[in-house]
Amino acid sequence: MASIPQLFRRFLERPGSLDLAPFERVVARAAEREERIRALDELPVPPTDDLAEFCAIAREAAHRTLGLRPYDVQLVGTLALLAGNVAEMATGEGKTLSGAMAAAGYALQGKRVHVISVNDYLARRDAEWMGPLYEALGVSVGWIGQTSTPEERREAYEQEVTYGSVSEIGFDVLRDRLATGAADLVLPEPNVALIDEADSVLVDEARVPLVLAGAADPGAAVPKTAALVRQLMRGHHYEIDEQGRNVFLTPAGTDAVETALGGDNLYDAPETVSEVNLALHAHALLTRDIDYIVREGRVQLINHSRGRVSLLQRWPDGLQAAVEAKEALPASETGEILDSITVQGLITRYPEKCGMTGTAVAVGEQLREFYDLQVAVIPPNVPCVRADDPDVLFATVTDRDMALVNKITEVHATGQPILIGTLDVAESERLALTLSGRDLDCVVLNAKNDAEEASIIAKAGERGTITVSTQMAGRGTDIRLGDGVAGLGGLYVIGSGRHSSSRLDDQLRGRAGRQGDPGGSAFYVSLEDELITRFAPDERPPAAERDGVVRNKRGGQIVGHAQRVAEGANLEIHRNTWRYTRLLEHQRALVLERRDKVLHGDAAADALARARPERWAELLESAGEAVLHEAARQIVLFHLDRAWTTHVAFLSDLREGIHLRVLGRMNPLDEFHREAVTAYQSLLAEIESEAVATFETAPIGPDGIDLDGAGLKRPTATWTYMVQDNPFGTAWERILKRVTDKVRGRS
Amino acid sequence: MLTAITRAFRTPDLRNKLLFTLGIIALFRLGSVLPTPGVNAENVRRCLEQAQAGDAGNIYGMVQLFSGGALLKLSVFALGIMPYITASIILQLLVVVIPRLEALKKEGQAGTAKITQYTRYLTIGLSILQSTAFVALARTGQLFQQCQEDVLLNDDVFTVVTMVITMTAGTAVIMWLGELITDRGVGNGMSILIFTQVIAVFPAELVNIFRQNSFAFAAVMVVGVFMIAAVVFVEQAQRRLPVQYAKRMVGRRMYGGTSTYIPLKVNQAGIIPVIFASSLLYLPQLVTTLFAGQEQPNVVVQWISTNLATGDTPVYMATFFLLIVFFTYFYVSITFNPVEVADNMKKYGGFIPGIRPGRPTAEYLNYVLTRLTAPGALYLGLISMVPIVALAVAGASQNFPFGGTSILIMVGVGLDTVKQIESQLQQRNYEGFLK
Repeated sequence: MASIPQLFRRFLERPGSLDLAPFERVVARAAEREERIRALDELPVPPTDDLAEFCAIAREAAHRTLGLRPYDVQLVGTLALLAGNVAEMATGEGKTLSGAMAAAGYALQGKRVHVISVNDYLARRDAEWMGPLYEALGVSVGWIGQTSTPEERREAYEQEVTYGSVSEIGFDVLRDRLATGAADLVLPEPNVALIDEADSVLVDEARVPLVLAGAADPGAAVPKTAALVRQLMRGHHYEIDEQGRNVFLTPAGTDAVETALGGDNLYDAPETVSEVNLALHAHALLTRDIDYIVREGRVQLINHSRGRVSLLQRWPDGLQAAVEAKEALPASETGEILDSITVQGLITRYPEKCGMTGTAVAVGEQLREFYDLQVAVIPPNVPCVRADDPDVLFATVTDRDMALVNKITEVHATGQPILIGTLDVAESERLALTLSGRDLDCVVLNAKNDAEEASIIAKAGERGTITVSTQMAGRGTDIRLGDGVAGLGGLYVIGSGRHSSSRLDDQLRGRAGRQGDPGGSAFYVSLEDELITRFAPDERPPAAERDGVVRNKRGGQIVGHAQRVAEGANLEIHRNTWRYTRLLEHQRALVLERRDKVLHGDAAADALARARPERWAELLESAGEAVLHEAARQIVLFHLDRAWTTHVAFLSDLREGIHLRVLGRMNPLDEFHREAVTAYQSLLAEIESEAVATFETAPIGPDGIDLDGAGLKRPTATWTYMVQDNPFGTAWERILKRVTDKVRGRS
Repeated sequence: MLTAITRAFRTPDLRNKLLFTLGIIALFRLGSVLPTPGVNAENVRRCLEQAQAGDAGNIYGMVQLFSGGALLKLSVFALGIMPYITASIILQLLVVVIPRLEALKKEGQAGTAKITQYTRYLTIGLSILQSTAFVALARTGQLFQQCQEDVLLNDDVFTVVTMVITMTAGTAVIMWLGELITDRGVGNGMSILIFTQVIAVFPAELVNIFRQNSFAFAAVMVVGVFMIAAVVFVEQAQRRLPVQYAKRMVGRRMYGGTSTYIPLKVNQAGIIPVIFASSLLYLPQLVTTLFAGQEQPNVVVQWISTNLATGDTPVYMATFFLLIVFFTYFYVSITFNPVEVADNMKKYGGFIPGIRPGRPTAEYLNYVLTRLTAPGALYLGLISMVPIVALAVAGASQNFPFGGTSILIMVGVGLDTVKQIESQLQQRNYEGFLK
């Protein structure tokens, strides 16, 4: 990759390559080029000469339409993207513009480009901001968001360049798979994926599959169980594990529940156990304003990695209803999983892909392993002069918060703007409260007011501003310094604790010091932070000094260790998600192939006519051919989707208990495959026989099939959930653990 | 099993993997018979024949088993995979002792990769030690005590150093071959290599028996086939305890109980108890060798040498059997901790229908496990006794090829590998089911 900058410079400096002709002529030439390149569509990559020329034209177009003249390094970024790499460009280097030029480049080659970003806000902002540039280059552009209607989506996807968040595009893929008519489809064939914030999309989001759920039945409210659970006491009736991810009843708790429910053995009634467990989970593990907020009488989930409210996300398997019961809200509909897709499955649909981010090198290995993508490092335009102070480590949260507020007061006195990155919504509000107690005005940017994001960010660089933010301001948002701020030392970024990955820390730091601006950053970490208590619980930290600060080198090592453990654990989750879903993706591809034949062709009609010729002939008379074909299609599609949903449910159930196989010295993954394949083998036959059975009895008249009468009622919310693997370890680990436990006298 | 393999050969990329594995095995065998430079191959062969005829054959039995006869042939791969196995055991123990290693291990993939790297270095260190000791034995003629021939061509320093370097390099190559199989072939590389060495001695021994007595050969074959069938049967036998995860509200259909279960194997301990017991029974033999020179051995030594040093005495057989039973219970109790399993299930909302999570579940698991381990331990003991009993009954001096350990290793690795091939087949051969 090192040669690209040189290559580029050579072309740019070549006499005549920078056309200074009037702008109209440049535009005309762009259109001319479009035709020429379209004619040459077979060429996979345009020759480098054309690329240099394209860069020159795009630079001119950007200058004239947006008033932004791309720096050389931005064009290098564009070239890296056009070559199918992940470009690492520091914050504030103008990734958006580089990406837009690359997207236009792909579009002019006749390909359809999806610019995939982390959230709807960025998708919309970038599409609208870059609109004039695309227009000047003769490329059409559109965007989709959470609230877009199917018509808006279809129109956006018809454009040459479409901006959208990874979850929106993923859900469109999932919804398309359930379309019952060819006209309902939204997405065109995938061509090129250009991924903004590539590490976030491809690595962080990839841990959890996107799950499309349908609302099937009205929710069963469980207020009685919620009330029962509320009377239980932590420690006596129930306990929470060290990681705070699971809760379970103690014997005393079981007794209490059994007495309250009439005295029968609770564990003879799995349904009741589920109900109690869910209520307990909602009561003990989910906290209002950290895990969810209540807005407009509804429970809304907060996405931790982005710090935003996820409108369409719900908890799985009745947990949503349990939380609603806890908050005494009316129960919403319960759902069932219709289908799921991993980010990996989504991205690998695209034959060509590239991406850009500020922190790619740290995940280079993963990008290669999971996506076959290479990282290209683009040098900054102006060297970064931000002063990164070393972490300050405190023994307790209280000491840390005190010092944090003192530091804010001290920096604020100089007039320097401050951005504080907190780890969750509750913490951001707590800090805001403390600051206002000290007569310091601050603006809070968190999941509760994401609508004001743009205006808050625009002011965050002004003299004397204090902005308290969650992770959401960490990405894709550009903080410009106000007048005279540069003289004061620029923006000062403080992190109230390290994130679960050093990349996220770097992203937060990157808010300051863009384009060679001055700036500073520091992290105020406490040994009681969740990162350390959860991922390095066994380490014995050194004692703090009198002022509560831990200056021993060992303290810093523990923080680094905890972060690496967290990163390792997350990588393992990613890899496991992928391992277990690869088979599912394969099975799905085959089912979809079949579904396409039904949806677009007469496969359903042929099959049913062959299976029941008399009934077919009889209905052909009474209903007519077109109606009958459509009815056959609906019947087969219904049973196909129904069977697939059941299959997916079976697999997720199988997945949950598969780690137990380790106890019989078996490989869980192999076992999973074995059972999944056996279940799949009977799937198609089952679909066929059920479809034939429905065909025999369904009321089909000249007006078509009465779907409800035939019992073919289709379900129509979205949620995500986490997965875990073998908690037992290998046989050796088990022996060693037991032996050490004995030696250390723990068990 | 055979159909799986033939089907695998029809799937192109699986065929390539199988051929790759077979190629590596061939290379591995070649290195196991290729003499190290400086060895007088002719003399070694003669000494080996003598040693096999004499009683001393017993002492090297276990070593020979794992090296497929390579060790006493002084071949390039003489040390086999033992140094690697020893190194990984040592490192796993060190992880518990050294906090820095423990920290590394917790950091996931990057940390584990570093530990693997340390294991490789330690393997090289151990091979240098072992090959030096071994070459020194060969040089002084102690390797084959009854044999008067010189096994080395000459014993200057250059030859000795060359031999040490060759054997150490051989071990490094074996390590690499094993990793290659794991990465690009089928099955676990190290297990496959052990498997290869265990069955490598079969043909020669069978031919040996056939030459001496064709009736005995037929008997051995019948018993062998019967034993393999029996081992395959028991190895796959398991008791399934249904488990339900009660975190989800089950919708229209119930899946729980059919596919979610704890599989408890009849032979939950695998082969480890047999290896432990045989290793322990080498001690008496060692004692008798140490006191062999004494004119007037004391009573204990004398008793040991008459009752425990050879395998054909009732005391030896009884001890061996009892040790295996003991180690089976010991190993099962250590690897399967009912309390830990019950706690884990409780944490994630799982329970055995009708039984309370926590202590009652642990007690139930313990009850089932104890009752299941009894036949498991008897089975292991009986299988391991077969060759010894055969030896005593037939009074034959040659080794019985289908020893308990060899059969258990053979069947264990074989079953695992076939399972893996089948699972890969299933992932690839979908089109067959669909169209």
